[in-house]
Amino acid sequence: MNALLLTAVFGVIMMLSSFLLTSKTAIRGLAVSGMVIVLAANVLEMMGIVFFKIDTKDMIAFDRFSLLFNSIVFISTLVYFLLSARDMEKVGINYGEYFALIFFVLCGVTLSSSFHSLLILFLGIEIISIPLYILTGSDKRNLKSNEASLKYFLLGAFSTGLMLMGIALIYGATGTFSTNGITTSPTSALVIAGMLLLMFSMAFKVSAAPFHFWTPDVYDGAPTVFTSFMATIVKVAAFIAFMRLFNDEFGSLQSRWQLLIALITAITLFIGNITAVFQQSVKRMLAYSSISQAGFMMMAIFAMNADAREGLLLYSAAYCLATIGIFAVLMKLKDYSFDGFNAFAKQQPLLAATTTIFLLSLAGIPLTAGFLSKFWMIKAVAGTGKYLWLVIFAVLMAVVSVYYYFRVIQAMYFKEGDGQTIEASLPFKWTLVLLAGIIVLLGVFPNWIIYWLYF
Amino acid sequence: MSSVPMSHILFVSTALFFIGMYGLFTRRNMITMLMAIELILNSVNINFVVFNKYLYPDKLDGIFFTIFIITIAAAEAAVAIAIIINLYRSHRSIDVENASEMKW
Amino acid sequence: MSILGLTLFKNVSYLQFHADWISSINSSFSIRLDGLGQILCLLTAVAYPLVFISTWKTQYKKSHNFFALMLLMQAGLMGVFLAMDALLFYFFWELALIPAYFLCSQWGGERRIAVTFKFFIYTFTGSILMLVAIIYTYLQTPTHSFDISAFYNSSLNNSSASWVFWLMFIAFAIKLPVWPLHTWQPDTYEQSPTAVTMILSGVMAKMGVLGMIRWLMPVLHLSFYQWGDTVSTLAITGMIYASLIAIQQDDLKRLVAYSSMAHMGLMCATLFAETQSGMQGVMIQMFNHGINIIGLWIVIELIEREFGTRKISELSGLAHRSPAMAMLFVVVALANIGLPLTNGFIGEFLMFNGIFASAVTKYYIVFTVLAGITIILAAVYTLNMIRKVFYGETNSLTTAGYPLRLNEKMALAIIVVLVFVIGLYPRIFLNMTQETSEFILKKAGVGGLFGQ
Repeated sequence: MNALLLTAVFGVIMMLSSFLLTSKTAIRGLAVSGMVIVLAANVLEMMGIVFFKIDTKDMIAFDRFSLLFNSIVFISTLVYFLLSARDMEKVGINYGEYFALIFFVLCGVTLSSSFHSLLILFLGIEIISIPLYILTGSDKRNLKSNEASLKYFLLGAFSTGLMLMGIALIYGATGTFSTNGITTSPTSALVIAGMLLLMFSMAFKVSAAPFHFWTPDVYDGAPTVFTSFMATIVKVAAFIAFMRLFNDEFGSLQSRWQLLIALITAITLFIGNITAVFQQSVKRMLAYSSISQAGFMMMAIFAMNADAREGLLLYSAAYCLATIGIFAVLMKLKDYSFDGFNAFAKQQPLLAATTTIFLLSLAGIPLTAGFLSKFWMIKAVAGTGKYLWLVIFAVLMAVVSVYYYFRVIQAMYFKEGDGQTIEASLPFKWTLVLLAGIIVLLGVFPNWIIYWLYF
Repeated sequence: MSSVPMSHILFVSTALFFIGMYGLFTRRNMITMLMAIELILNSVNINFVVFNKYLYPDKLDGIFFTIFIITIAAAEAAVAIAIIINLYRSHRSIDVENASEMKW
Repeated sequence: MSILGLTLFKNVSYLQFHADWISSINSSFSIRLDGLGQILCLLTAVAYPLVFISTWKTQYKKSHNFFALMLLMQAGLMGVFLAMDALLFYFFWELALIPAYFLCSQWGGERRIAVTFKFFIYTFTGSILMLVAIIYTYLQTPTHSFDISAFYNSSLNNSSASWVFWLMFIAFAIKLPVWPLHTWQPDTYEQSPTAVTMILSGVMAKMGVLGMIRWLMPVLHLSFYQWGDTVSTLAITGMIYASLIAIQQDDLKRLVAYSSMAHMGLMCATLFAETQSGMQGVMIQMFNHGINIIGLWIVIELIEREFGTRKISELSGLAHRSPAMAMLFVVVALANIGLPLTNGFIGEFLMFNGIFASAVTKYYIVFTVLAGITIILAAVYTLNMIRKVFYGETNSLTTAGYPLRLNEKMALAIIVVLVFVIGLYPRIFLNMTQETSEFILKKAGVGGLFGQ
C-alpha cells in the first residue's frame, strides 16, 4: 500500500516539477530520490511497517510475493534511472513528464502485481498501458516512433477489449470479481470462454507467440530509452499479473489450460529464438530476445508450483537487470547494428566486460543470475512430471539463443574495426560494474531473493 | 409489461463485439478503427449491465465496472486522438496504409 | 605458480570440504578427493606447470588476461574433478568451458572465431542437456538433494532412466569426443593456441571420462548396462574411423587430434565393459594420455614455430640436426601407442584385459579384436609420421636445425621421466585407484549381478 500511493503521488509531483523546476539536473535528482523513497517505503512494508491503513474491501492483497516483486521492480527502475535518465533528455523537451509517466506506470505495476479482484487487474493493466502508448510516441518528430505508438495502441486496445469480454463472461458465470478461484460449474461454456479470452489478452501483454507480432515493431520504433523500460519492467509486471490471475482464479482448472499454455510456450520459444538469429540490428535482436525470454517465463505459468513462483521472481530480477544494462550501453552507441559493436572492447574495455556479463546472464551461463533463473524454470516444469519434451525443447532453444548473444561478444572482442567513440561518465561506468556485480552475486547466492519470499 | 429476455440482449452485445472486431481488422481509417474499439468496449459494457441486472440483481458490481470502463475508454480515446493527430501532421493522412515505415 | 604448488600439496591427503550453499533446494558446496579425483588433480597439477614451462618464451598479447583465463579454467577443471554435488559439478563444468571459449577465440589461429564457436555450441548443448538430466534425477531422489549419495538412491524407472542416461551421455561424449559427436574436435585443436590445446586435449577431455565414471556408472547402472553394447560400438567405430583418418593426415596437429580421439574412444569402450582392471586401466590411462599428448603438442609447437609449417610432407630429416628433440619425441610417441616399458603400455594392457574379461557384454571378443586393430593402425600412423618428419634427407626447410631451449628440454624431460616411471613402477597409481574403482563397480552393481 505504501508503494501504491507513493508512486501515484510522485507521478503528480514530477508532473508539477516539469514547470516548477527549470534545471534538468534538479528534475533528475527529484526522480531518483523519489524512486529511493518508494523503494524504502516498500521495503519497510515488507518488514511490517505500513504507513497507510486503508480497507480495500479485499480487492487488493499485498502479500509477500507481490511486495517482493515490487521491490525487484523498484530496484530495477532505480538502476534504470541511474543509468539511462540522462538519455531521456535527447528524446524531447518534456523531461519531467517522462518521469511522471514512468511513475504512473509503476503505480499500475503495483496494482497488477497485487490485485485480488478482476477490476483491479483491469485497472492495473490499463494504468500501465496508457502511459506507455504516450512514451512510445514521445519522439514526436520521428516517424517510426509515431507508427510504433499507433500500432501499440491499436493492438493494446484490442487486447484490452478481449480482456474485458473475458472478465464479463467470468462475471456472468460467477457473479463476483474477486479472484478466489472458480468454484461454481467449472465446465460451463462461459467460464471456459472467459478463461481463453483472458489468456489470449495476457499473452498479448507479455508478447507470447502467436500474439507477439506487435513487439519487434514497437520495441524497435520506440525511443531506445523507453524500449529498455518497456521490454523489462513492464513485461515482467505483466507476467506477474498473468501468474496471479491463473494461480488464484483458474488454479483449479489447471488441467484444462496446461496443454494450451505449453503450446504457447513452445511456439514463443521457437519464434523468438529463430527470428532473433536473423536480425542485423542489436536493438531488434533484443526485441526478439525479449520474446524468447518471455517463452522461458511462460514456463513458470505452465508449471504453477512453488518453484515456479520463486523462479519467476528470480527470472524477473535477472532479466530486468541484465537487459537494462545492455540497453544502457546500446544507447551510447550511434550504430545499432552488430558491426557497430566491432572492436568495442578495445575502445571501452570496462563497458565491454560488463556487457559480456549481461549477455552471459541472458544466455543462461552459470555463475550469473540468468543461469539460476533458467534452472529454476526447468526445475519447475520437470517437477510437474509431465511434458518433459517442453523442457528439452526449451534447453535446445537456449542453445540457439547463445548464438545471437555471442555474436555481440564476438563483435566486441574478436572482430577488427574502428570502434565507435563514445563518451561514458565515470558514475555510469561504476553503476554498470555494480549491476554486473549484483548479477554475478545473485548467480551464486540466489537465496538472497528466495529467502525474502518466505521470511 | 413483459421484460426482454436476457439472450436477446446478449445477442446484441455479441453482435456489437464482432462488428467491432471486423471493423478493427478491415478498416484502414484510423478514426474508424478507434470507433471499432469503442464498439468492442461498449458491447462489454452491455454485457456487464445485463449480467448484473438479470443474474445478480442484489449487488451493483457490474454496473460499477461499466463506469470504470467508460472512464478508461475516454482516457484511451484521448491518447489515441493525440497519436492520430501526430501522425496526420507528418503524413497528411489518417490512413494506416501510409504508416508503413516498418514492416510487420 | 604458487597456486600450482598449493594444488600439488592438496593431493597429499584425502580432502573433504562441505558447506551449505543453496539450502532451499538442498544443494551444497561439497567437494571430496577420492582416488579418481586424486589422479586427475595430479594430472592437472602436473600439466599446468608443463604447459607454462614449455611455452615460457611465447609472447601473448595482453598476457595478463591470458594467464588469468588459464588459471580460471584450472579452477573449473579442479572443481569438476572434486565436486560431489551435481549442481556444483555443473557449475564447474561450465566454468571450465567459458575461459576456454575466450582463450581460443582471442589467441587462436586464423579461423578461430567460427571454429571456437562451433566448439562452444557443441559443448553447451551437451552440458545443458546434462542439466536437464541432473534436474530430473534430482526430482526422483528420495531426499530431494543434489548430493551424490542421494543420486545413488534415485528411483528412476527403466524408461526414464534410459532418457536420462542418453542426455548425460551426450554431454560426456561431446567432451571426449565419441564418434559421431567429434566434429568440433580436430578443428578446435588445430586452431587453438598450443598452450590451450594442451589443456583441452590433455586435461579437459578427461572431464567426460570422469563424468561417465562418477555420475553415469553408479547412478544409472541399469541403463549403463543396458546401453553398454550400443555405446561400445559407437566408441569402437569412432576409434577405427579416427585412426583411418589419422593415417591420411598431412597436418601434424590434426594427426595428433585424431589419435587423441581414438584413445579416448578406447577409454569409453573400456568403461562400458565394467571390469576392475579395465576401470583402473582407464584411470591410469587418463593420466598417461594427458602427459603424453602434452609432450607431443610441445614438439609440434616447436616444429611449427621454427620451421613455419605443420605439413608432414614438407618436413623431413629433423633428427639429423636436432637429435635431442627427435629422441624425446620418439619416446613420447611410442608411449602414446603403448609400447612396453612405457606408461601407455600399462594403461592399454589393463584396458584390453578389462574389455576381454568383461562379463556384461556378449561381444567382448569382437570389441577386443577391433580395438586391437586400432592399436596397429596407431603404430602405422605414428611410425609413419616419425619416419617422414625425423628421418630421411634434410630439405631446405630443415637444414637449419634447432637446438632445444632449456625450458623445452625441462618440460620434455619431465614427461619422459614420468613415462618410464609409470611404465616400470605403476603400483603407486594402481593403489591410488583401486579403492575408488572397487567402490564404483560395487555401486554399478556388477559384483552383485554376476557374483564376481
